[in-house]
Amino acid sequence: MNKEFKPRITSFLCKWCSYTGADLAGTSRLQYSTSIIPLQVMCSSRVDPVFLLKAYLSGSDGVLLGGCHPGDCHYETGNYHTRRRFALVKEVFESLGLESERLKLSWISASEGPKFARVANEYTEEIRKLGENPTRKSIFL
Amino acid sequence: MTETTGIPVVLKTDNGVETPVREFLGQMLDSGAVDALIMPLKVPSGDSFAWILLNDAGMLDDAVPFPAVMPVQGARALRSLTRKEKGDLTVLALMRPCEIRAGIELSKLGQVNTDNLILATYDCPGAIPLQDYVNDPESSEASFKEMFTTGEPGENAKPACRTCVNFSAVDSDLHFGFLGISDEGMLVIPGSTRGAELLQKMDIQSETGDKLLPLWKSEVESILKKRTAARDIAFKKTESDIKGFSGMLNVFSNCIGCHNCQSACPICYCRLCYFGSEASRSNPEALMNQAIKRGGISLPPERIMFHTGRLAHMSLSCVSCGQCSDACPVSIPVADVFSFVAEQTQSTFEYKAGRNDGKPLPLRDFKKSELPGVHELVKDAEPGGASHE
Repeated sequence: MNKEFKPRITSFLCKWCSYTGADLAGTSRLQYSTSIIPLQVMCSSRVDPVFLLKAYLSGSDGVLLGGCHPGDCHYETGNYHTRRRFALVKEVFESLGLESERLKLSWISASEGPKFARVANEYTEEIRKLGENPTRKSIFL
Repeated sequence: MTETTGIPVVLKTDNGVETPVREFLGQMLDSGAVDALIMPLKVPSGDSFAWILLNDAGMLDDAVPFPAVMPVQGARALRSLTRKEKGDLTVLALMRPCEIRAGIELSKLGQVNTDNLILATYDCPGAIPLQDYVNDPESSEASFKEMFTTGEPGENAKPACRTCVNFSAVDSDLHFGFLGISDEGMLVIPGSTRGAELLQKMDIQSETGDKLLPLWKSEVESILKKRTAARDIAFKKTESDIKGFSGMLNVFSNCIGCHNCQSACPICYCRLCYFGSEASRSNPEALMNQAIKRGGISLPPERIMFHTGRLAHMSLSCVSCGQCSDACPVSIPVADVFSFVAEQTQSTFEYKAGRNDGKPLPLRDFKKSELPGVHELVKDAEPGGASHE
């Protein structure tokens, strides 16, 4: 495995939990992978399947979706819908024989700075093992 | 398979299967049981059919109850009639099972109102690909006739029809069944209480269908077995053809981006779709960036994105009618891919598109505890999220 390979992980993080968790990791001076490219969304259920596909087909090696823990959604039920939608996209990936490991859903609350750092590091390592996104070098899209 | 509700009526089939259906529907119009019908009529040029909302029983002579092709998916006709409101009149629509199923799916999506619709369907042998029919209506009619007699779609049917397992006994109000019994008669089977009431109101004097019903059922079962086997083979082939990003590229490589598959799809109803919207258009810098990173980029972009995006957006409601393949000008087996993926995504949520079984659309619903394995299991996931590692 190429040691130099640095994955790019597009991360959609909900404003109320996961993004705040990432903030906490930062203010707590926890080191976490620089592969994570955080994007704030108002709710994880704001993330349409097309967002995940666009990130994947634009060459992201991994796509991370972070939301509040089930039961904790700021909008009460948003993350339950996220889970269904995410399961759908994952199933589409699996039936097309695409690597569904490149999609990850994680529940990270606002107080879970350490967990955010851990998920970021572990997922980066997982993706590093998986290697580069095969769509990255394709000129046909 | 849908259970029958009420007693089926037997129609005589001495003059083929079309005449008794015409007479039956004419009787319905005359008796006022329904106010109008939606039926296919041959277009003036003679090489296709159009959906006609008709309330003149005299016009039934020109109506073709069982057309050889499916030019416009019938659910689109239902939608154009009832999208705004249900209307005051009772309308009976006689359509293929996949058209009725798409109509039911659209009613869940708020695009069709079935309150005043009587959905009628029949044992569908399949349809001829539209292009084949337009090129040679005569021989297409001949091969359709053969399909109709055997009840089996041959080599000449649309690929989606050859592997269709919902060709009979779908959720409808009335079903015209003739498989395996057409020499003796045709069954009009009520599939809902509304259908049963309608039959009762018409008060048709006929022998009861008790004798023919088991014969019909066993024939449907035996054809179902064959088609299920054909479908399993087709799914295996699609799975290996489409596998991986390279497979996806191969299958969709000659896509010209016309979006015909989307326009023909009964389920894709959104007026403002992401694909084709302003938001989907990239600015030159973004494309140039991609080109620099990859060494080049195909224009217009987002062809694979379009198909995968549509799979994610509509596969849960896909009824496998095959209209997308029919509409494709470059012969991409769009329907094979969509049927295959739809089967997987729908089974993830134990959902069957086109059923009227009270199950909500999977994305409109959720359970508090479900889908383990979709997200990682966190043992420290206490509400409030107070976890300090």
